[in-house]
Amino acid sequence: MATVLLFLAVAAGIMIGPSDISLRAVGEALLAPLPWHPHLSVPAVDVAIIWQIRRPRVVLAGMVGAMLAGSGAAYQGVFRNPLADPYLLGVAAGAGLGATVIIINGAAPGLLPVAAFAGGAGTVALTYLLGGSADRGGDATRPAGGSASIMLAGIAMTALLTAVQTYLQQQHFPQLQQVYTWILGGFSLASWSDVTLILPYLAVATVVLLAHRRLLDVLRVGETEANVLGVDVARVRLTVVAAATLGTAAAVSVSGLIGFVGIIVPHTVRLAAGASYRTVLPVSLIGGAAFMILADIAARTVQAPAEVPIGVITAAAGAPFFLYVLRSRRARRELA
Amino acid sequence: MIVLERVAVHYGERPALASVSHQVAPGEWLAVVGPNGAGKSTLLRAMAGLLPHQGQITVDGQPTKGMARRRLARLVAYVPQTPTFPPDMTSLDYVLLGRTPHIGYLRMETQQDRELCGGLLDQLGLRTLAGRPLATLSGGELQRLVLARALAQESAILLLDEPTSSLDLGRRVEALEMVDALRRERSLTVVSAVHDLTLAGQFADRLMLLDQGRIAAAGPPGKVLREEVLVPCFGPGVQVLTEPDGSRIVLSRRLAAPSPRG
Amino acid sequence: MRVPSRLPAIVLAGAVAVSLAACGTQPQTSGSGQSGTTQTTGAFPVTITTSNGPVHIKARPGAIISLSPTATEMLYAIGAGSQVKAVDSDSNYPPQAPRTKLSGLQPNIEAIVADKPDLVVVSYDASTLASKLSAFSIPVLNLSAPSSISGVYSEFTQLGRATGHLAQAQREVARLRQQISAIVASVKRPSHPITYYYELDPTYYSLTSTTFVGRLLGMLGMKSIADAAKGAAAAGGYPQLSSEYILSANPQYILLADTICCHQNATTLAKRPGWANLTAVKDKHVVLLNDNIASRWGPRIVDLLRTVVAALKGTGGLKGTGSS
Repeated sequence: MATVLLFLAVAAGIMIGPSDISLRAVGEALLAPLPWHPHLSVPAVDVAIIWQIRRPRVVLAGMVGAMLAGSGAAYQGVFRNPLADPYLLGVAAGAGLGATVIIINGAAPGLLPVAAFAGGAGTVALTYLLGGSADRGGDATRPAGGSASIMLAGIAMTALLTAVQTYLQQQHFPQLQQVYTWILGGFSLASWSDVTLILPYLAVATVVLLAHRRLLDVLRVGETEANVLGVDVARVRLTVVAAATLGTAAAVSVSGLIGFVGIIVPHTVRLAAGASYRTVLPVSLIGGAAFMILADIAARTVQAPAEVPIGVITAAAGAPFFLYVLRSRRARRELA
Repeated sequence: MIVLERVAVHYGERPALASVSHQVAPGEWLAVVGPNGAGKSTLLRAMAGLLPHQGQITVDGQPTKGMARRRLARLVAYVPQTPTFPPDMTSLDYVLLGRTPHIGYLRMETQQDRELCGGLLDQLGLRTLAGRPLATLSGGELQRLVLARALAQESAILLLDEPTSSLDLGRRVEALEMVDALRRERSLTVVSAVHDLTLAGQFADRLMLLDQGRIAAAGPPGKVLREEVLVPCFGPGVQVLTEPDGSRIVLSRRLAAPSPRG
Repeated sequence: MRVPSRLPAIVLAGAVAVSLAACGTQPQTSGSGQSGTTQTTGAFPVTITTSNGPVHIKARPGAIISLSPTATEMLYAIGAGSQVKAVDSDSNYPPQAPRTKLSGLQPNIEAIVADKPDLVVVSYDASTLASKLSAFSIPVLNLSAPSSISGVYSEFTQLGRATGHLAQAQREVARLRQQISAIVASVKRPSHPITYYYELDPTYYSLTSTTFVGRLLGMLGMKSIADAAKGAAAAGGYPQLSSEYILSANPQYILLADTICCHQNATTLAKRPGWANLTAVKDKHVVLLNDNIASRWGPRIVDLLRTVVAALKGTGGLKGTGSS
């Protein structure tokens, strides 16, 4: 079902946009780059819109949505905390600081994703070191570091880096709006180069996360029991966090900080299809992609030709939907 | 064969276990008894590789210190006092968790694993519950289920931390009978922390009485379950009755009734 | 504080545009009748009526703090530069203005009071500066961004009256009026509006024809493609456009007001996905504006207009009338 939704979302994402291009023209534009295409009447601008703007936009939104939702599910699994989201350990604050430094220094825009990625991934690495459980290794007789201390370290790092970032942005007022726009996030500037830039990271992260779906189920009985069942919890957590961080940092480096997706998509999947990570992880990846593509369609059409920040859409549409799912699920449970 | 050599555990400065040395023979059931805080759970957790310890714990000749978790989990299965039951996980999936040490790091369980776990559900009378979420199971059913998960590990040693604490009186005997039957059938070595001294004496081959982290007494039930051994640990409210068949019943009893009113 | 900023000057202006419009038909300065005889020193005490309420000034100020880059330019243009004691960190023109670390958006009340000013000029009353400084009897003149050129003229006269340079302010207004009409008269009004995309930053924030700059360009017969954004004009006129809309609207000209902040130019435009297809990019109809000049409504609005006219004439978008 999630796959069908994704398919529909992709189709809609390519067909719908602020510039009025007929379905026929969309079809022709899609054929246009093929070498043997028949004579087409569609204008070059429409071909450019479909191929260079809408398609990378749809693809990028799908990739970022999948990554944020998948990472959210994985974080909730390794930290056994329903409130965990991909930004828990400071990815967002670190990426935001990286982006801010680039913007206020007027450095080449091409460096922005690099700095955001480095800031995000570096922050999580630091959080992990300070949280004090990075090097427990596979020794069965030494206890795994508590996930609570890592989460608290993440909160502290987030607060610290947000403070630095806020200070920098206030000191460089003329660039504040650029920083602010980046932090709000969105796909209005999506290009194929963004897609190829983050694809390797997202591919690796997705494969690693999916490979851990059974182990995440083992973790559901708690760290102690998972340990005695032969799972090196510290190592699994480190690997999953590293993969999720790699993917999330890459995703936010091109999309900015889009909130909420990492929480509502996995939980909606849980409520609809059960809590086993064998289901939650793959379905969250697909559902996250579909959700983000739909949110982006809304972002560029609700006030067309003006853009609405996509974070506004994900929260404004996602939260009520999520509450509805939560309520209807509870109602069903009470009946059962 | 489990060999404990001067095993000590500290929680910070406070010693929880001080220099415990003992041997558990293959197929033996050792019950660890003692007052609250004596170190029963600590000893089991140390044996399960959950606590850093001094001294040495050897299982089948291999020291557990520094051993990879997977390997230890194939040698030793551990059932905590209050296991976690994810409410919407099904019974079969829960038992399958026990196969973890036998499944490659990033692999999924095989049909063989499923069959083995299905067999365990059969044996423990849980077959009809295989597809049910854990939230719908009773306390006794959950107790059997966690046992099934431990058996799925196919390890020769079973560590049970207060296995009956959550059960009512009748179910306690039932659960211990099941453990006893299983260990005879599979020649398991069982080490369990037990609160109820009478039951410990009736099921275990040997008892280890811990007091303040040290072994106060060890040996067959008849040797340990004696008032002169128990009173120094538990206080004077302990009374031991010996049945005609030689088994012992340990009672806690009021020392002296207050003088009647009036 | 989360106010978008390169808009600041401009977006904050949007917020007051409505209130300005409401009093646009009435004289914006009080006592315009009494001050028939104007002299350079002006008459003090004086009460200035602004769109943000009356401001009472007891004597000719000699220690002015300007927290508005536009007001700083205006003060120097009307000859009140010698009375300026300090200006905010963004007031980078004219160069001799005594720039300090003061911020116009997060004003430090204590630092301002310590400077002992006798008049503070702002374009945005951050943190209710006016009411706080009234406790120290320091008048605050709030000259927010206007939505029309007549609003600019009013601010000149208000500033002239407040500083005792009314005559020079009126001369400056006359000069601006004359130069603007000369520029407008120097070009033939096109039969069809010339469409343009005005870029405030590389994330496609733009402006509609109802904004101050939009009106200025409208005098040349130009029309913003952002006008199509629903409700954008009512919301202040600074929408963020979709890239694909800009492509499909295919404006005749692109005006870049992000050349300094964000290093944008015709080359960077052509590299954006799909933008090479734009007629304006192909024909090099890209006008580079100075961000600072373009975001202020002071004396240099004439320069802005000149830059645009020169670029449009040079590329055939506008034709001269030969009148100037």
